[in-house]
Amino acid sequence: MSAGTSTARKLGASLALILGVGALPTQYAAWGLLTIPVLLGVARWARVELGIVLRRGLAVAPLLVGVAGLALFQGRGWPVFVGILTKSSVSVLTLQVLTQTTRISELLAALRRAHVPDVLCTTIALLHRYLFLLAEESRRMQRARAGRRLRGGRFALWRALGNSVGLLFVRTVSRAERVQAAMRSRGGA
Amino acid sequence: MHIPDGLLSVPVAVAYGASSLLCVGVACRRLRATRERGSSALLGVCAAFIFAAQMVNFPVGAGTSGHLIGSTLGVTLLGLPGALIVMTAVLFVQCFVFGDGGVFALGANVFNMALVGCVVGHCCYRLLCGTAPSPRRRVAAVAFASWCATVAAAISCAEQLSLSGTARGAVVFLAMLGVHALIGVGEAVITALIIATVLRFRPELLGASDEPRAGARAGSAVWAGLGLSLAVAVLLAPLASASPDGLTQIARSLGLRGQERASLAEYVGLVLGRGLLVTAFAGSVATLLLFGACWLLARALVPRTTAAPDRLASRAAVESSG
Repeated sequence: MSAGTSTARKLGASLALILGVGALPTQYAAWGLLTIPVLLGVARWARVELGIVLRRGLAVAPLLVGVAGLALFQGRGWPVFVGILTKSSVSVLTLQVLTQTTRISELLAALRRAHVPDVLCTTIALLHRYLFLLAEESRRMQRARAGRRLRGGRFALWRALGNSVGLLFVRTVSRAERVQAAMRSRGGA
Repeated sequence: MHIPDGLLSVPVAVAYGASSLLCVGVACRRLRATRERGSSALLGVCAAFIFAAQMVNFPVGAGTSGHLIGSTLGVTLLGLPGALIVMTAVLFVQCFVFGDGGVFALGANVFNMALVGCVVGHCCYRLLCGTAPSPRRRVAAVAFASWCATVAAAISCAEQLSLSGTARGAVVFLAMLGVHALIGVGEAVITALIIATVLRFRPELLGASDEPRAGARAGSAVWAGLGLSLAVAVLLAPLASASPDGLTQIARSLGLRGQERASLAEYVGLVLGRGLLVTAFAGSVATLLLFGACWLLARALVPRTTAAPDRLASRAAVESSG
């Protein structure tokens, strides 16, 4: 089985599970909990870092518990409360298994095979490429700022930090243009 | 504002997903037809920058934090189709590479942050900018448009949660609007900072000339701001009326009949306890105050100088700043 087929199957199975559990009527949503042990087994087999899964779960927990709690106190009943938490847990766990076992290049190849418009695929690829460029520029600016030993009051510090957000954007655009010009001079698109 | 899975009902998720799919498809065709050769660097950097900015949370008080949406920044730099594609790409990568936001709710998230955010940001920016904007007017317009786009996206998100019957509308509206009116201020400041820097060092990215228009009149911008503030109030006021609105009708036709769905009317009633005029007046005053604050921010960020910036010196300043 080729890597492409494997990614497509993994993506298809994940989407089917999330959409299937998400589409369960409220009164039957608790049945979705049955998939959790299976997902945990797959996560263990795929050597997924459970710490990251837990962190991701904790990040969305306040909103989910807040809305689910609100539904409970507004008299929607326990099925709605359990349904929200079940559907979210299954989705978070499935997505973490998928994201930790799939590279963005594999995802892009699957999207292209699914005939997703080329301009959207290219933007996703560029996003991934320029994210590293942005991080690199940010590190360079931080190093330079540390070297200059920024002084002054709190207002001056905030103003300098605010300016550097804008400068970071302008510098990254300039560098990306240089990268693109270099690519084009070598015959790239 | 990323809606996780489990909060939206199937009809709501499908309806918003289909709308988003259609709009993104149209935007892809438009962008493919109009994209200039060499513009993909700006497209990619915008996408990467908005993606990174959305991962940085800033506190807005009461233990709540928010992050930049970036739709107005995108629409100012790339135009409507480009910004829509960039925002969709950002939300897609967040969902499928970092597991942020639900798959089932991806269409709704794209609708709120990409479609509503970009369209509202674009309309407000164009309306306030006019045909020959000065740098200050551009920065004020972008700040106010950012706030409007954030609040509009929050209203759309609250409406989806309310339509899904997850929680009663009034409380969702109250929570979403209250928090996002504050987050919108953060969005306005950050977007204005970036656009002010772009105008200073790379004005051609915004289609602006190197020569600032010294004599550009601020009067029309003020009238546009007044009109927009009144429009916000007029748009909100009918939703506060007691009669069922269009969305209630949609909710009924989608099979949500019998669920006690409350609309924005309950929210406004909860806050003000008064009728249409009070709502419109309060909305106008609050929006006008914000518009004034945006104008002051633009005055602080854009120097009064009328001298044309030395492009080589500006470039050197950017290169040597890090």
